[in-house]
Amino acid sequence: MKLAQPDAKMLQEVGDLAEVRGRSLWADARARFFRNKAALAGLAVLIGVCLFAAFGGLIAQYERDFVDFSLMGANAYQGSPSIATGHYFGVDIDGRDLYARTVQGTRISLLVGIVGALVAVVVGTLYGATAGYIGGRVDNIMMRTVDVLMSIPFMFVLILMLVIFGRSILMLFIGIGLISWLDMARIARGQTLTLKNKEFVEAAVATGVTPLTIILRHVVPNLLGIVIVYATLLVPQMIIFESFISYLGLGVQEPNTSLGALMSLGTKQMNNGTLWMLFYPLFFFLITLFAFFFVGDGLRDALDPKDR
Amino acid sequence: MLAYIVRRLAVAIPTILILVVISFVLMYAAPGGPFNSERPVPPEVMANLEAKYGLDQPMWRQMVTYVWDVVTRFDFGPSFQYTDRTVNDVIAQGFPVTLTYGMWSAVVAMVVGVSLGVAAAVRQNSVLDYMAVGITIGAQALPNFVMAPILVLIFTLWLGWLPGGGWNGGQWEYVIMPVIALSTSYMASIARITRSSMLEVLNSNFIRTARAKGLPMRRVILRHALKPALLPVLSYLGPAMVGMITGSVVVDIIFSTGGIGQFFVNSAFNRDYAVIMGITLLVGVLTISFNLIVDILYAWIDPKIRY
Repeated sequence: MKLAQPDAKMLQEVGDLAEVRGRSLWADARARFFRNKAALAGLAVLIGVCLFAAFGGLIAQYERDFVDFSLMGANAYQGSPSIATGHYFGVDIDGRDLYARTVQGTRISLLVGIVGALVAVVVGTLYGATAGYIGGRVDNIMMRTVDVLMSIPFMFVLILMLVIFGRSILMLFIGIGLISWLDMARIARGQTLTLKNKEFVEAAVATGVTPLTIILRHVVPNLLGIVIVYATLLVPQMIIFESFISYLGLGVQEPNTSLGALMSLGTKQMNNGTLWMLFYPLFFFLITLFAFFFVGDGLRDALDPKDR
Repeated sequence: MLAYIVRRLAVAIPTILILVVISFVLMYAAPGGPFNSERPVPPEVMANLEAKYGLDQPMWRQMVTYVWDVVTRFDFGPSFQYTDRTVNDVIAQGFPVTLTYGMWSAVVAMVVGVSLGVAAAVRQNSVLDYMAVGITIGAQALPNFVMAPILVLIFTLWLGWLPGGGWNGGQWEYVIMPVIALSTSYMASIARITRSSMLEVLNSNFIRTARAKGLPMRRVILRHALKPALLPVLSYLGPAMVGMITGSVVVDIIFSTGGIGQFFVNSAFNRDYAVIMGITLLVGVLTISFNLIVDILYAWIDPKIRY
């Protein structure tokens, strides 16, 4: 009976401890992310760029496809950036307001990046997780397919597709969707291989959960951390990819535009002295990419279990 | 090791065949042919032309004939656009150019990137490190089609030091700017990879041992740390080489160097199927070979890899 007292006390203490909520992986990651100054700055810039792309058009004084014939070809001396005329970023060689066009270009470039990343997240994760979880011959065939697709010079095939089937944003999205998920599939598979021998998956198998449910409910949520990191780092790659295609004149077509198309026009007019045609789109291009790089690095430090 | 190489080669051959099928189907599905022009050609002439180039055959037969010719005689067929030349001529003219500045770019990217990465890692968190990281992030974000015209603006128009384009048999003045434009972003990636892997290696036990037995820092870095730190760089080289060949499209257009990139874009716009196929196949084979070589080297150097 003498021992009962300390035992009861200890039980009480243990009970109290259980009340304290453990920190989840995500809360932990959030705390680490918010300690990272560069990542926070990147996030702020990113929000700014998104706001600019979404609402920047509201303060534009001109429509993006409005051509001011009096300024056409005369933008070097009459179309420089000024608040007074309402052409905040100046006028391009065809007499169009560069501010309105930069807003739209930013919007399309962001869209391209995000669509590419989304395809990668959905297709790549599911594909990789399935291959890794099922394993064996299925895994072998699925990953060899990825290897084969990766060895195809996609830039060349995409140029071919755009020339053959016409240049449209849809075609561009298809092309980007075709390549963006390959790396993600490999990463997801690698992670799944380590996950599938964990106790919780074993428990799920033992209780008779179907493989599909295990993949969706137990494997994929545990992949999310690394998937988010690589998706963030994939967005700038896709934006660069699109700008390259647009540079060749095969990407987004007039009157629509993207940052790549605007920069390409800007570089062609550099001798003309209208450097604003290059520098405003280039500025938004660079800060968007930097922001994604920094946020991605911050997320990696916060979420990647390897770097702890 | 030999079994590994054979296995990899066994995967490479179907890959090339798939590439052939994809590009063939794409071109077959294309509306309009190489002989469609504003002036309509009489139907008899058209039929003759199509018979000459084998376009009147069913698709599978065209494909089989093509593959047969390539494999047995290394013959990519005649060009549709340049009537007096074969695809082999076009490739023979363009490929050495691309190869020259591609190889120089690879060397520059490797040497500068690795030195920058090692210097940044050895002096971690110094001004040098921050500068190196800043340069690499900037260089990764700046597209080469923006950088190339800026180079031309500075070195050709303002300073007048270098010619703004052309090839001229590969004289060094003509090679410098294409190489800078092509290598910068890969240099940046290599520097970043080297820096992070070097940091990892420098913190490992065998480096501490080497330091503890009194070796000078320079010797520790060059003899002990560099080799393991370069392994991740090696695996990046395959994709980088491929990216440089793709990047030649931009370099060729801006500097008019006349490599295969220029021929590819021209042929794509002119529907010159034969040249497109030839170049796509060439790039595909190069891609596969580079990846193969890098993987074999990797397996050979890194004892931890089981193949």
